[in-house]
Amino acid sequence: MITAGIDMGSKYVKVVVLKDGVIRGKAIGATGFEPVAAAEKCLEKAATDSGIEISAMDHITSTGAGRKVAPNISSDVTDVSAAARGVVHLLEGIQTIIDIGAEEGRGIKIDANGKVVDLAVNEKCAAGAGAFAEAMSRALDVSLEEFGQLSLKSDKTIPMNAQCAVFAESEVVSLVHAKTPKHDIAKAVHDAIASRIVSMVRRVGINKEVALIGGVSHNPGFVDALNRGLETQVIVPEDPDYVGALGAAIIAGERSH
Amino acid sequence: MTMYKTEPLRCWKKAKELRLKYYKDYQEAHSKGGIRWTGGAWAFDAIPAGLGRDVYHITGEPYGASLAFNRELSLECLEAAEAKGWARDLCSYMRNYWGSMYLSKYAFGGEYPNPDFCFQDHICCSHGKWYQHVAEYKNIPYFCIDVSVGPYKDLDENRLMFVVNQMHESIEWLEKITGRKYQDELLIEAVENETRCTSAWAEVCCLNMAKPAPLDEKTMYSLYVHGTLAKHSKEIADFYEELRDEVKYRVDNQIAAIPDERCRLMSDTQPPWGFLKVFRYLEQFGAVSIGSLYTFGLIGIWESKPDGSWGPRTTPMQKGKKITSRDEALRVLADWNLSKPEWQHFYDPNLKTEMMLQIVKQWQVDGVMLHLNRGCEGLSCGIMENRIGIAEAGVPVMTFEGNMGDEREFDEKRVVSRIDSFMETLGMKMLDKPAGAVQSS
Amino acid sequence: MFAKFFDWYENRHDYARDWLAKNDGEVVGCFCSYAPEELIYAAGLLPVRVLGSHEPQDVTEPHIFGMFCPFCRDVLAQGLKGRYDYMKGITLAQSCLHLRQSYTSWKNHVPVDYSFYLYMPNKVQTDHAYSYYSEELVKFRKSLEKWTGRKITDESLRETAELYNENRRLMREVYDLRKQSNPPLTGLDAMVMVASSFFVDKKEHNAELTRILPDLKSRKLDRETGVRLMIVGSEDDDTEFVKMVESVGSTIVVDDHCTGSRYFWNLTEFTGNVLPDIATRYINRPPCPTKDWEERTRLPHILNLAKEFKVDGIILIQQKFCDPHEADMVPLKDYLNSNGYPTLFLEFDVTVPVGQMRIRVEAFLEMLGVEELF
Repeated sequence: MITAGIDMGSKYVKVVVLKDGVIRGKAIGATGFEPVAAAEKCLEKAATDSGIEISAMDHITSTGAGRKVAPNISSDVTDVSAAARGVVHLLEGIQTIIDIGAEEGRGIKIDANGKVVDLAVNEKCAAGAGAFAEAMSRALDVSLEEFGQLSLKSDKTIPMNAQCAVFAESEVVSLVHAKTPKHDIAKAVHDAIASRIVSMVRRVGINKEVALIGGVSHNPGFVDALNRGLETQVIVPEDPDYVGALGAAIIAGERSH
Repeated sequence: MTMYKTEPLRCWKKAKELRLKYYKDYQEAHSKGGIRWTGGAWAFDAIPAGLGRDVYHITGEPYGASLAFNRELSLECLEAAEAKGWARDLCSYMRNYWGSMYLSKYAFGGEYPNPDFCFQDHICCSHGKWYQHVAEYKNIPYFCIDVSVGPYKDLDENRLMFVVNQMHESIEWLEKITGRKYQDELLIEAVENETRCTSAWAEVCCLNMAKPAPLDEKTMYSLYVHGTLAKHSKEIADFYEELRDEVKYRVDNQIAAIPDERCRLMSDTQPPWGFLKVFRYLEQFGAVSIGSLYTFGLIGIWESKPDGSWGPRTTPMQKGKKITSRDEALRVLADWNLSKPEWQHFYDPNLKTEMMLQIVKQWQVDGVMLHLNRGCEGLSCGIMENRIGIAEAGVPVMTFEGNMGDEREFDEKRVVSRIDSFMETLGMKMLDKPAGAVQSS
Repeated sequence: MFAKFFDWYENRHDYARDWLAKNDGEVVGCFCSYAPEELIYAAGLLPVRVLGSHEPQDVTEPHIFGMFCPFCRDVLAQGLKGRYDYMKGITLAQSCLHLRQSYTSWKNHVPVDYSFYLYMPNKVQTDHAYSYYSEELVKFRKSLEKWTGRKITDESLRETAELYNENRRLMREVYDLRKQSNPPLTGLDAMVMVASSFFVDKKEHNAELTRILPDLKSRKLDRETGVRLMIVGSEDDDTEFVKMVESVGSTIVVDDHCTGSRYFWNLTEFTGNVLPDIATRYINRPPCPTKDWEERTRLPHILNLAKEFKVDGIILIQQKFCDPHEADMVPLKDYLNSNGYPTLFLEFDVTVPVGQMRIRVEAFLEMLGVEELF
């Protein structure tokens, strides 16, 4: 059984090729303004990486924001279900998944088979996570990578309003004017974002074990803040960027029966 | 080949005509020597009816919804309200209404027709304040009846009398400001029509227990609205009885709203009026929304039957009781309205959760969609506790954020994505070739 | 001089636990300033207003939808976080929808032995409200008696009402001192004085007020009064904000909000029937906007206060998402401006960007005239 999963993210396309349940190849590429072309290129790359021709694949399932326009597919699935299935394949005992993208943060409750049981999303109030962190790193004139590392240097707890991103931004400006050290501000921002996420995840219940996926999982400062907020250690799977594509590939396998 | 046969509603045309006539009558009232007043959909419209047969009114919420449905005009109205300095998180019906008033643009063409007075009742924080502002802006008299006396199950004489006493007071006030002599027979007639109207609407909703559902919620919105316009009107009571008979005919002949009905859902709070197409999107999964506490219980009046099920409230006439005095009419009117399902949750979200689970059981609902409506603090009051209660009862439930009357706060793409996830949870895939429900959008 | 009040305000839980250890009664949380505390006190219980802690929190989102005011969510958070685990009873006299949810969610998720929801009228402008509410208070009294096993006699109610009146009179007396050109207390002192009264036995609060009043009358503050300001809004015990405002050349000399003057402004008048008298007192008090219709009585009341206290400018404190106050805001602003009082509108959350607000307050003060700052 050979399947592939294409995750058509708004920023990146990711592809995973599975043969008999084992990952044989993968590829990632920028989506740009031509998602279909980007997906085709990425699928070819993954095929080459796996040594398997596209024509030999039994079933290809797409997921992600642009899943409906993905090329060569036999079916599509929401990224929520794909993420859940991917996580369960990689990690044991997960009951809660936190998925933070640039625009949306999600809390997903799953059962032992990786089926989605409940879902919460960061709504309009306290919206966003990744995008906010990016904006704040720019405000402090550091790169996003540095921003996370910077926050780990601080041991202070400066409360920031965790509800409204606009209010929080105002508070950051106040802190800058008060000559607060950058690393303390960085930590305050990370704590505030993490608090919003924790707040949202409580809606589906924080049941151990908790997995973290999505772009922000690369930010060690955020992971640290999240662990403190959740009062547990989140587990970040290997290659968290590919979890969606992996899940889609697994679902493709189930569907081709 | 679809699962069920389907057919357009025969009374659809009449429904549209009745609604437009209502708004036209209000507009033309003065030219015929009549009275115009404005208030909420929950106001006791049976009371001003005692002033004569030429009394017309517009109710703020359906009017606000009509504005919201016209997204271009709505945006103008909302921006006009904001330009005056009003906050954006205030009731979006109210902001649409005020904007229409400031711009003097009637949603049905022409200028905003000035009312002679405001008449309202108060249960949510905005109710009393809405028409306070209209009255001061238009410099007209205003009377508002406080109905926040607790849930119906705990109603006692003291609480009932608080409402009834205010009602008596309001009649004296109406006589004073209009100079007209009040006619109790007209009040009695109006009260009787109201009980008939609202009970008949509940009957219509009950018929949706059938599988397949004869009506889908999007269609129901265009039908329940009449009860929000003038629930005391004989015409509308008659119309609902006619509608009930037609829907019964549909049930008897297995005529469906959605020919491929495979999944039954229930919603909550007002829908996002500018984006009713989300209901059409549901149909692509063979999912039909059979209604909601909102559609059933905003206008419909219900009671628990001896077998514990929910059914239309028995009217005084059905009990063989004839109202013979003003006081009796007011007592019936107050008691009748205080039993309104949508008035109970203001005191305890658990009461609403109970009712919602009752609907899930009786109407055989597979999943619940809660519209976290930023435009209405009243109907969103306690909604997160409802979510918890429904989830704890093992019923699949999803939430989506939006605004009934402010399209800028509705993210269509996101909501569609949420629906997709929810449908997956329910194990529903899109139909290969969905045949849509018969009513046009 | 106000140290005791600050102590009570900052250590409210310690006080409550201490009270429980020394008294044979329970603590009852009140969720709105409209709660008729006299009945609770007369039953041998300690009524305390539940306020927030002005900290960001992440526990209320599953319970209260994010578009309701931050204050009501902050209040609920205190319960969910176990800060009131000593409190066995809760009560609400209904007013706004937002705070109502704090009460109902608390009841659902925080263990309490006793709860009572009072269907206080929202139409306080009808004569029918008095008899209706008196009857509702009869129910409340019976319920309290049943829970405590104690009879609440008319005499004990009368005594308690007089005790509460005394507290109100004393606080009015302190407020009157703020009418002077050099008030002997800051707005911060006053805010904490009033807020602390929510948390303690009124007997003790009265004793402390009585103790400081003589000295207070002759006290000279070592600061410039500066511009005389009034704050108008909903719930506000934001001491950080008040501190900031009073550090840039102004003094808050009076207020209209529900953790301020609205709470204690009017007294119970005795006509011989104590329960109806208490009902009357609450119906007639300066209203929350949700109870201020069909007439706008709040506006002339605020204007009068501004005049009596010789206010130069008014800061309108709008708690984010608070519908009742938002629904008054435009007419209120217009009314005050057209009566010669400049206003500054500020939107509040449970934490505020004090730095940003400082700039706006300073600009407002400059606008009010350089000659005021000396």
